[in-house]
Amino acid sequence: MAFGRSKNRTIIPVVEMTPMIDIIFLLIIFFMVAAQFAQQARVDMNLPKEIGEQKKQQENSFIINILQDDTLIVDSTKGGISLPELEVLLQNKIATDSISWDKLLIRADENGKTELLNQVLVLLHRFNFTATKIATETN
Amino acid sequence: MQFTNSNRRGMNGAALSMSSMIDVTFLLLIYFIVSTVLAKPEDQLTPALKVDQGAVVEESLLEPQIILVQQHDSQHVYKIGTQLLTSRKQLAEVLLKLPKGPGVVIKADDTVTVGFAIAAIQESKNAGFEKVTYVPDSN
Repeated sequence: MAFGRSKNRTIIPVVEMTPMIDIIFLLIIFFMVAAQFAQQARVDMNLPKEIGEQKKQQENSFIINILQDDTLIVDSTKGGISLPELEVLLQNKIATDSISWDKLLIRADENGKTELLNQVLVLLHRFNFTATKIATETN
Repeated sequence: MQFTNSNRRGMNGAALSMSSMIDVTFLLLIYFIVSTVLAKPEDQLTPALKVDQGAVVEESLLEPQIILVQQHDSQHVYKIGTQLLTSRKQLAEVLLKLPKGPGVVIKADDTVTVGFAIAAIQESKNAGFEKVTYVPDSN
């Protein structure tokens, strides 16, 4: 029985790296951008689990977040504000950008009491807002 | 004048090592995948806004269509006229029977939770009411 070296030439496979690197870079860019947007716009809370109106949503230029512990947050990078401070902010926003009700979104925690939500809505009514947008979380 | 490709000299065998770059790229990718919190899909409800300022005449005209969201014996209830509804399902059934023309007015007490009040707006929209008005408790 003869054990000889195979005469077949061994072919070393060459893995083409370029498309893989392209995809990885695209993924990195996607996750970087997604992380930025999530940080900017959203304050973490439990919104009411409702389907909403299922209509095309307009861009919001002013978002009022009402947390479960009755904290008011307008800018997610800053801390909570009081109702009089919100009034001043709204006054400035209306004076500079003349925002209407459809540019303003209220995000209220479903487990919080409606007391603060009602106070905010009374405030909006004082600024002649005829309607309001309340955010819901679709499952 | 002679143009020679002098760069080609000495380049034989020079290879750019990609492994360290790929290592760093993968680390970045893993970091962004782990740190990204994907935002939950949101929708919105857009009720009209009115403030109850002792408008007795208006209220009496709309009385059959007013949904009071209250706390009754440490339980959240919906009250339409004299009917006391303890569940969302009951509210949906009653709302389907109401005439849609005059619209519906929702008044939520400060003591109820936001989720319970928003559910009344959602059920009104689901029942086919075009005019849904939220009246915040201004006491």
